[in-house]
Amino acid sequence: MSVFTIEAFLALAGMVLLLVEAFFPKISLKTLGTAAIGSAVVAFFLYLGCNKDTSALPGFVAAWHQLDTLAIFYKGFALVTTILVLWLLLICSPYLKRFTVDGKFGEMLALPLIVCAGMMWMASAKDLVTVFVSLELVTVSFYVLVAATRKSVISLEAGVKYLILGALSTGILVFGIAWIYGATGSLSFEGIAAACANGGSNKTALLFATAFLLAGMGFKVAMAPFQMWVPDVYQGTSIPVTTFLSVGSKAAGFIVLTRLIDALTVHGSLIRDEVILMLVGLGAITVLVGSLPAIFQTSVKRMLAYSSISHAGFLVLALASRDSVRFDLSAGGIVAFYLATYLPMTVLGFLGIAIMRIQGQGEEIQDFTGLAKRSPLLATMLTIAFASLAGLPLTAGFLGKMFVFVGMVDQGWWVAIGCAVIGAAAGFYYYFRIILAMFSPAPANAVSSSLQFGLSARVLCVALGIVILVLGVYPRPLQKLLAPAPVAAQHAVK
Amino acid sequence: MSSFVQYLWLIPLLPLVAAGINAVLPTDARRAAMGLTIATMAASFLISVVAFFKVADGGRLCHNFDWFSLGGGHVRLGWLLDPLSAAMLMMVTFVGTCIFVYSVAYMAHDARQKQFFTFLSLFAAAMLGLIISNSLLLLFMCWEVVGLASYLLIGFWFEKPSAAAACKKAFITTRIGDIGFLLGIVWLAKENGALLFFDNGAGFLEQGALEHLNGLAVGGISAATAIGLLLFCGAMGKSGQVPLHVWLPDAMEGPTPVSALIHAATMVAAGVFLIGRVHPLMTTESLSVVAGIGACTAVIAALIGIAQNDIKRILAYSTVSQLGYMMLALGVGGLGAGIFHLITHGFFKALLFLGAGSIIHGCNDQQDIRAMGGLHGPMRKTFLTYAVGMMALSGFPLLFSGFWSKEAILHAAHSTVGSHLPFYAGLIGAVLTAFYMTRLMSLVFFGTYRGDAEHPPHESPRLMTLPLQVLAVFAIALGFLGTPAWPWFTTWIEGRETHFQFGHLFHLETLGLMIVSTLAVAAGVWLGWRLYFQRLRLTPDETDPLQIVVPRVFYHLEHRLWFDEFYEKTLIAGTRRVAEWLTLVEQGVWVGGIWAAAQISIGFSWLSRCYDEWLINDGFDKSCDSLRGSGKEIADAHRQRLPFTLRTIGAAILVLLAITCIWFGKGGAR
Repeated sequence: MSVFTIEAFLALAGMVLLLVEAFFPKISLKTLGTAAIGSAVVAFFLYLGCNKDTSALPGFVAAWHQLDTLAIFYKGFALVTTILVLWLLLICSPYLKRFTVDGKFGEMLALPLIVCAGMMWMASAKDLVTVFVSLELVTVSFYVLVAATRKSVISLEAGVKYLILGALSTGILVFGIAWIYGATGSLSFEGIAAACANGGSNKTALLFATAFLLAGMGFKVAMAPFQMWVPDVYQGTSIPVTTFLSVGSKAAGFIVLTRLIDALTVHGSLIRDEVILMLVGLGAITVLVGSLPAIFQTSVKRMLAYSSISHAGFLVLALASRDSVRFDLSAGGIVAFYLATYLPMTVLGFLGIAIMRIQGQGEEIQDFTGLAKRSPLLATMLTIAFASLAGLPLTAGFLGKMFVFVGMVDQGWWVAIGCAVIGAAAGFYYYFRIILAMFSPAPANAVSSSLQFGLSARVLCVALGIVILVLGVYPRPLQKLLAPAPVAAQHAVK
Repeated sequence: MSSFVQYLWLIPLLPLVAAGINAVLPTDARRAAMGLTIATMAASFLISVVAFFKVADGGRLCHNFDWFSLGGGHVRLGWLLDPLSAAMLMMVTFVGTCIFVYSVAYMAHDARQKQFFTFLSLFAAAMLGLIISNSLLLLFMCWEVVGLASYLLIGFWFEKPSAAAACKKAFITTRIGDIGFLLGIVWLAKENGALLFFDNGAGFLEQGALEHLNGLAVGGISAATAIGLLLFCGAMGKSGQVPLHVWLPDAMEGPTPVSALIHAATMVAAGVFLIGRVHPLMTTESLSVVAGIGACTAVIAALIGIAQNDIKRILAYSTVSQLGYMMLALGVGGLGAGIFHLITHGFFKALLFLGAGSIIHGCNDQQDIRAMGGLHGPMRKTFLTYAVGMMALSGFPLLFSGFWSKEAILHAAHSTVGSHLPFYAGLIGAVLTAFYMTRLMSLVFFGTYRGDAEHPPHESPRLMTLPLQVLAVFAIALGFLGTPAWPWFTTWIEGRETHFQFGHLFHLETLGLMIVSTLAVAAGVWLGWRLYFQRLRLTPDETDPLQIVVPRVFYHLEHRLWFDEFYEKTLIAGTRRVAEWLTLVEQGVWVGGIWAAAQISIGFSWLSRCYDEWLINDGFDKSCDSLRGSGKEIADAHRQRLPFTLRTIGAAILVLLAITCIWFGKGGAR
């Protein structure tokens, strides 16, 4: 079985579920959810077992489909994210029912499968057209997902904001693609790289195109100054969708960005230094723009939105460190590693908020006061998650940040390092505020009954906590998975 | 060699285990603590009996082993079983068991009974370890633990200031002697290498080492003499020899069983035991010092004892005096005689102390003999056993053990080749002993009860009188182990053969000495009789008859010949003077220097603080503030409506384009 079959299967499953939901209104959400998560899990196991060789692909697919290390990793990442988001959707269903029309949100269960297919295609896209198509598949699905909780006003507002800014960004991206085609005469990454390297192109045109491409992709990955939509949209939409945006959408954006930057900064490229400089500057600004406002947030969800911007900044900085191959990882590998560590801690953090919401609690920091007494398990796991987000050693988050910092030190970008240090320090401040609140005694008038939540949420909670700790002390398997194949071959020869 | 002596450590181990278990028992587990203490002591006694029969025919068994290795050297310890240690083991375990049983009743009302028995067990373990050790090092370690136990027990009622002071005094005074002891050990270790007594010819009490030590001359005297004298310093401290005797009377602040066990029967005899143990090392010169000190102690302590009024204090001075006798005996070469007196004294002095405890108990904690009187009626058992003890101590002829052991000492002192002064000192001591014991008996048991009439004296419980009776039997019977006719004990200790020869009793010298000492005892008793018995005291406040006869002498004796005051004025005042002087030096020189150093550091700290607060901290605070400010602005920007967002994005793209196309286009990045 080829990878493409699995992707097609996922897209098909999503469509079938949508139709079922539309034509059989009596079918229960539980059945739909089980079917969706079942399809995703089946796809994941099929993917683990399938032949990941390009030669296994049908000819018409192989033309726009590549299967390198990163593609293989990101496809798996997309599947895992989708499964987790679907799981989260099921956990949140009591809360989602309150904010959807007639208590139905079947489309929220079906669309993630389509998004997943889009992300998987994006991971192995060889040219900008494929990128654009799959990116739009993802983005358009997200328009629906963000606005799905229609009974909530701020969700609707978030939906509109996301729609308008998303459309704008798509326009900017297409404009950039057009310019790059004009400058290089090619839409495939290979062609663009070759054109950049052979010096036959107009440098100004190339830079002009790059600026638009970066702006367009900046929207998708929440890179400053195109992050403006993030706090409102993250806060407004439902928690599972926020999670999906924060992890899935970001990962999709970064695989495209990785491909694009790899092509534009290929050795001997005309605009290599300029692109790197732009990335470093934008990354440093992004870190600051994400971290500093986070200090002032009283809503945990909004704070996580800013934190998501800050992490995007670190990812951009990782992507900028082109020349260092450390820890067996290239720049793209470090980005992938960072995302892999970012996945469990973000999902766990949002899961904590979701559990609070389902219990009728708010998502303000003060609502977390005394949580350690009310639910020691949740408080412990959230502590792990937030410590990891802050980058405490022995957690997964530490290694990601360390790789980024080491890469930057290798390059000697001291100003950017300063910004990153400020961002990381601020991170410790605002993440540990929540931890502090959780372990502080609750005020007298607060709810003090113990917090109960379902077995499924508990299992997910503990599993994610364990993954964070294991990755924090034993990251080797992940590093091996992401090691660039040619380097590995060279090691083998030595 | 798998012999009995290898397991000799069981004897001290059992009380040690008891002490360890007692220490962790809850405070109210008094029954368990008592049972454990007495049972382990009795078990040790049984093992001691077996040990005794192993060497009942003389001979010596030892077992040595490596304690630890350091570099190429080994530190070796060992167990030793010979007549000396066997006799001591028997005495200590037996008397100890009696006193432990007695303590059950005596301490019945004490809240910290458990601790008391814990300390007793610890003491017993250390004392027994001291006896069986075949190494001066091990002996010294046990010696110190014994001192610790003594300290703890003297100060057992530490809430009394006098007890707290007494235990401190005992500890410090004996420690002065121990300095000499330790120096002797170190010197010996340097000269001889090993500190084992016997080690197949390599021990320092064996031929080769002794010849070597005798041959070494240091400043006119041989090393053996010097080391012997240093060791004797330790013995002087522990056994209360003049001038280090001052702690022993004060040690009577401890509970009476402690006085009986530690400060009469066993621990204070450890010094005598030590000299007996290292007797082969002692040269003629060092022995003459021992004899002189012993003689002085015997007389001086007996003199002081005459004028004391506290029943335990009289007995304490009596103990000091008797310890002087033992030292005297060892000094004139009468090893067997000295140890024989040690053993008999252990029994009858324990008996006397326990009797005193019984009297104190019966008279409602009254210790002043002037306030007693007429106790022979209400305290019949105590009186009878006490009379036995008194006669044994005074040396009443023929029937009592004290007579025979004192007889042996006088015999040794008379037949010595050296000076005969110790012999005359012994005789004077005998007179004095008989005198003060008669005084004690008269005041305590005869006449009328002069204490609180509302609380008449009463006999003590059976658990207290039974040990008295047992000990009284031994105070008589033990004497027959060392009569001149069959001097089995003394010859056994000295490792010689002996035979029963009734005729020896009638040798001219022996008979003469017996008559002389009997006359001395008679003289003492007669004096006491005249002064105290014929005119029995009627009220507690009367002047002492002796004070009327020799007022000036009595005044000095009453004040214990001013030893404590002398030390107070000289040693203690001198030490204090030096300390004050050092304080001045400290405050003038060191404190000034330290103050200056402190000021300099404070100055530097102030500079550093200025730097930190104004440059670093303020700078940091300012940057943090500005970061917070920008954070707030950015956060506010994110709350704006969509048109603002769009305008921002438009501006951002324009800036980006400007940078890429204009700046980069002109090669600005290169």
